[in-house]
Amino acid sequence: MSTITVNQISKRFGKQLAVDNASFEVTPGEIFGLLGPNGAGKTTTLRIILDIFKPDSGEVSVLGGKMTEGKKDRIGYLPEERGLYQDLPLDHCLTYLATLKGLSAHTAANRIEIMLKRFDLYEHRKKKVKELSKGMQQKAQLIITLVHDPELVIIDEPFSGLDPVNTQMVKDMLREESQRGKTIVMCTHQMHQVEELSDRLVLINKGKVVLYGRLAEIRRRYSGQDVIVHPLNELPKDLPGIIRIEPENSAFRLHLQQGVLPKDLLSHLVNRGVELERFEVRIPSLDEIFIQIVTSEGLIE
Amino acid sequence: MKKFWLVCKHEYLRHVLRKRFIMALLSVPLTMAVIIGVGVLAAFVSMDFRPIGFVDQSGLFSNPQPLPRTSRGWFPIVAQSQFASEESARQALADKEIQGIFIIAPDYWETGKVTLVAETLLDSSIYRDFEEFLILNFLASKPETIRERLASGAEIVVRSTGTERQLDSSNFFTFLVPISSGLLFMLAINTSGGYLLQAVVEEKENRTMEIVLTSVSTNQLMIGKIIGNLSVGLSQLGIWLLATIVGVIFAIRAFPEFSNFRLDPTFLWVLLVTFLPAFVMVSALMAMVGATTTESREAQQISALFTIPIGVPFWFMGVIMTNPNGPLAIGFSLFPLTAPVTLPLRAILTNLPFWQIGLSVALLTLFAAGALWLASRAFQLGLLRYGKKLSLRELFQKA
Repeated sequence: MSTITVNQISKRFGKQLAVDNASFEVTPGEIFGLLGPNGAGKTTTLRIILDIFKPDSGEVSVLGGKMTEGKKDRIGYLPEERGLYQDLPLDHCLTYLATLKGLSAHTAANRIEIMLKRFDLYEHRKKKVKELSKGMQQKAQLIITLVHDPELVIIDEPFSGLDPVNTQMVKDMLREESQRGKTIVMCTHQMHQVEELSDRLVLINKGKVVLYGRLAEIRRRYSGQDVIVHPLNELPKDLPGIIRIEPENSAFRLHLQQGVLPKDLLSHLVNRGVELERFEVRIPSLDEIFIQIVTSEGLIE
Repeated sequence: MKKFWLVCKHEYLRHVLRKRFIMALLSVPLTMAVIIGVGVLAAFVSMDFRPIGFVDQSGLFSNPQPLPRTSRGWFPIVAQSQFASEESARQALADKEIQGIFIIAPDYWETGKVTLVAETLLDSSIYRDFEEFLILNFLASKPETIRERLASGAEIVVRSTGTERQLDSSNFFTFLVPISSGLLFMLAINTSGGYLLQAVVEEKENRTMEIVLTSVSTNQLMIGKIIGNLSVGLSQLGIWLLATIVGVIFAIRAFPEFSNFRLDPTFLWVLLVTFLPAFVMVSALMAMVGATTTESREAQQISALFTIPIGVPFWFMGVIMTNPNGPLAIGFSLFPLTAPVTLPLRAILTNLPFWQIGLSVALLTLFAAGALWLASRAFQLGLLRYGKKLSLRELFQKA
């Protein structure tokens, strides 16, 4: 059974269609990437999943059914627009938000103490939130997301504004939570971060799902159209099935026509007597795949 | 349900534990204490407690008895000291042993003439006490109850027609209480409404709202916030009213002139039935404004649309007091934003028809329910709108 099932949801704000008939599933225990450029409809989709917004049409199932008040306590959410009560002492602020997640004040205090120590914030616990650095506040928000040991963790733009050290800390934390069997939905426009962490993903643009599936499968699907060739002698310019040839450092990038396989190119090169030092089928990045998709589908204005 | 209480408790404690709230809370009792203290102190400092002399040239008071009491409130009364001759009395006055001399004329029985010789004007209580002293000694042979009754005079109570309500028009507190309770209501509603507004806008501005909304429903959040902040205002109002009551009790004890003060029970229950729905109504309106606007300055400007009308009856206080059953007074009593100040005041001034009280409270309750509905809509639609305010059309359009 899926942890999240999004079934043909749409949401409109005035004249703007924020989510357009989107469907995807998130399976238990995976790190799922919800990708898309800024303004694609990712956050609106998350808010529909979290029952903050109601969809105009379509259905969402979370943790085995419709969202209930009880289920909210089983979900940890780190929104993109992050905030804490600036005038409250850190421990007071964390305790209040943890009790809203169903923890008793005593349990919340115990767990917060452990997590403050883990995140090197324990000595700052009595300071007002506004006295903490931005990095410290982001760590505090991670504590709020995880303090109630949620089954499902949803994080929106988790690496936004983080320095490399804290970025690594968040990645480690996400991997650790995943290893503990938690389902993680990571929503970001930084696609390279998802490549590093996610098993499966959905890519949204202008509210529509434009790519959905297992990362390895997607890459396989979109690989093979570019080949890097490092010849030891001259490269013929009239090779069949080639759209264009671009020099790349001491090598050449050959763009293959649709339907032409890299092995066909390799045969042509060998038959034409080209001696090769290197022949590499290039695996495209998610950024490149995204640009390729939206360009071919005319989705970029 | 538990989460609603958590929100409520959080909202209540975050304000009542703030220094500026505690300062505001203490300001009224402290001001009251200072006013009474300064009043009592000024009275003590300015009063002359030396005896007043009198010379009886009429021979009517051969063996005068002193007044039965020795103090008035917290102040000792000035004793009457008899002198055999005007010369000896004038000598005592020159020696500063007494503060003045009442000379009872030989033809007092026919003319009632008494001459006061003093260096300055004396406190008015000295005249009253001397008159009482004369009456009591004139009636020395009469039973004590008759003497006291005649000496005290009549206590005139003004009673409005067709009702048991009574009003002492000469009493300062009779008008002070409804006016000050209206002012305190305004202060309290502005405080709690302001806190509520601030709480909603702050959570939007500092982006805490989205985290909170993934833990509680919008209705739980709204009700928790309204009740929490409403309780702040009610606590404040309660403590201020308590301080006022204590202040009035002290003032009555210090200055017995105020002892004929009566608080009409109609006023009290009208106060209760108007203040409670009015509190809910204004709080809900504040919550709605907080949820629909994008920043605190804008929210405060819009909220003035609700808070200013509450004080409008004070601008027309003269008209309401001179014509408490006039169209303006009745109109203000029925309009929900002006009713909380006008209705209790009119309850002191006139015999309020029951239909007016009922209609006013019904309208207030209806408006409070409507304001709660609007606040709920605004919370559902506007809480996560950053940088874009909710339009009235969106607020009223079908969900």
